[in-house]
Amino acid sequence: MSAPLLEVRNLTKFFPVRAGVFLRKVGDVHAVDDVSFTLHRGETLGLVGESGCGKSTVGKTILNLLRPTAGQVLFEGRDLGTLSHAEWRAVRRDIQIVFQDPMESLNARHTVGQILEEPFVIHKLGTPEERNIWARDLLERVGLPRSAVSRFPHEFSGGQRQRIGIARAIALKPKLIICDEAVSALDVSVRAQIVNLLLELQHDMELALLFIAHDLSVVRHVSNEVAVMYLGRIVERASSNEIYDQPCHPYTRALVSAIPLPDPGRERDRIVLEGDVPSPIEPPSGCRFHTRCAHAERVCAEKTPEWETVTPWQQVACHRWRELRGEIQD
Amino acid sequence: MRLRPQTVKQWRRFRSIRRGYWSLLVIGALLALTLVAELLVNSRAIVVSYEGSYYFPTYAGFMPGRQFGLDYDYETNYRELAAHFAEQREAADASGTQAPGNWLILPPVPYNPFETDFRDDAFPPYPPSLSTQHYLGTDVAGRDILARLVYGFRLAMAFAVILLLCNYIVGIAVGCAMGFWGGAFDLVFQRLIEIWSNVPFLYVIMIVASVIVPNFWTLIGIMVVFGWMAMTWYMRTSTYKEKAREYVDAARALGASSPRIVFRHILPNTISIIVTFIPFSVATGVTALTALDYLGFGLPPPTPSWGELLAQGTANLQSPWIVTSVVVAMTLVLLMVAYVGEAIREAFDPKQFTFYE
Repeated sequence: MSAPLLEVRNLTKFFPVRAGVFLRKVGDVHAVDDVSFTLHRGETLGLVGESGCGKSTVGKTILNLLRPTAGQVLFEGRDLGTLSHAEWRAVRRDIQIVFQDPMESLNARHTVGQILEEPFVIHKLGTPEERNIWARDLLERVGLPRSAVSRFPHEFSGGQRQRIGIARAIALKPKLIICDEAVSALDVSVRAQIVNLLLELQHDMELALLFIAHDLSVVRHVSNEVAVMYLGRIVERASSNEIYDQPCHPYTRALVSAIPLPDPGRERDRIVLEGDVPSPIEPPSGCRFHTRCAHAERVCAEKTPEWETVTPWQQVACHRWRELRGEIQD
Repeated sequence: MRLRPQTVKQWRRFRSIRRGYWSLLVIGALLALTLVAELLVNSRAIVVSYEGSYYFPTYAGFMPGRQFGLDYDYETNYRELAAHFAEQREAADASGTQAPGNWLILPPVPYNPFETDFRDDAFPPYPPSLSTQHYLGTDVAGRDILARLVYGFRLAMAFAVILLLCNYIVGIAVGCAMGFWGGAFDLVFQRLIEIWSNVPFLYVIMIVASVIVPNFWTLIGIMVVFGWMAMTWYMRTSTYKEKAREYVDAARALGASSPRIVFRHILPNTISIIVTFIPFSVATGVTALTALDYLGFGLPPPTPSWGELLAQGTANLQSPWIVTSVVVAMTLVLLMVAYVGEAIREAFDPKQFTFYE
């Protein structure tokens, strides 16, 4: 297999918690803890987990919008942490991001034309006339009228705004787009259109997508591979089919059981998790999921689970996955 | 350039608030008129036609009396010249000869704010009178009150606007930097500003005024040194807020530099806060200058000033036209400025335009 486009090694991001008059550090929010994955050119990795589990932080840390506390991000084999300012500017053309709320991520004071020309302005590409033409081309590419350049973001519907956000992301012909909950805020019908647009662009431009979402059903539709995050850690990663057909980690199983089925008559066992997500400031010892896991034993609280290989396409970080699989088959 | 629909809405909303809108128009008109105050309130004639030639002494400058056939070399007194021309015409009519055809146009208020109009038969202050064209009377030195009000207004507004610009430039720069960089820079500047805000400003002015005679620019300088802090708090908070929004992250992901993010993204989004504060800062500036002049620590005499008139008026309550005119003028101007401010604040009220639908 060729070298991966993006390789994340042991990425860790802690946010210091400060308190008191002198703002002394009293602890850390363990937003991302020892996260590793790889992503190949033109492929899609779905990163799933509930709100606050650190999946957006992973995206922002890859883009260096947040500085990693530890770990490495390798893009085309280069360690992004060692790049100079000027080198980063060049890399920015290759990695882009689409945010969840386009009303927030598009500057309300700029026209769509200004928004779409900005990437070219920043990277000093083209003349003003060319940029204007390019901006119009981009609009057409994402299925909006060319005349939209003179309008403002809030004149568009949510789905149209997200198209503008996508147009901006593909302006510099990147190799990787991080979709940070890019479709989570949209209506189901609009969501399908946007997902299809992303897949079409991926196909045409050989884009790699890091698809961050809290909803497994969308991720299943787009991803080659899925990583499930819980409280800053990846607990299971597998190819898209494996994760739905035979989820191994109890948390993944709970998530998969929550996917709505289009068949109302079908019986299913919904696994409902008890309790709340523990505080990421003092995460639970051992397996972070043990406080909510129905199958937890003493070892789960004592020892951090190692990665174990289920199949060549599926790895899980759980002490008891073998026994649990047996239980389920019974 | 196309205006944002939101800007258009804000302007419409501003216009729909009648008293604010009209106050803005009136203040704008007054300011425009004061730009040509020399043509309206001045001792020099606008046009003099003398022996076939035309003279424009308003902007042409000094013209000796002899130039117009008077028997002195100092600056022509155009009111006397007008009387002189009238006598000439009367003499010509009486003797039946051809009049020389000399004439001049005086400004509606034919006095400048510095000249003292002494009369042989009375002591100033003179009460308002149409015949002497002191429409609001004179002050204790015999200077025309209307002339001093007009030039005092111009000076006070210029002072307030320049002060505002300087204060905002420093305040916005520092506040924005505090919000943008945050961390230790923010912390240190916060404490510095808190300490600096506690320096008793009036004492400093008194000390400075006792050492040097303040002029327009030194006064602005002192007031900026002690007045730039107010804006920093608002800018700091709103920069913090804007910086955390995703469009800033998006710009950064595109590779935008920090100056670009500040000037193209953050500042334009805080403009409504700045605009909302402008009228109130103008009012503060006018009041501050008036107060300092009233106390005698402001601009040196004989600068036309409302504060100085106010001091004169309160000291000479037996001549009520002095205090009445300045108090009425000041109340009206501050009221109108406050109305404009109120209307702007109303028009920019974020409750009207939420970003989320």
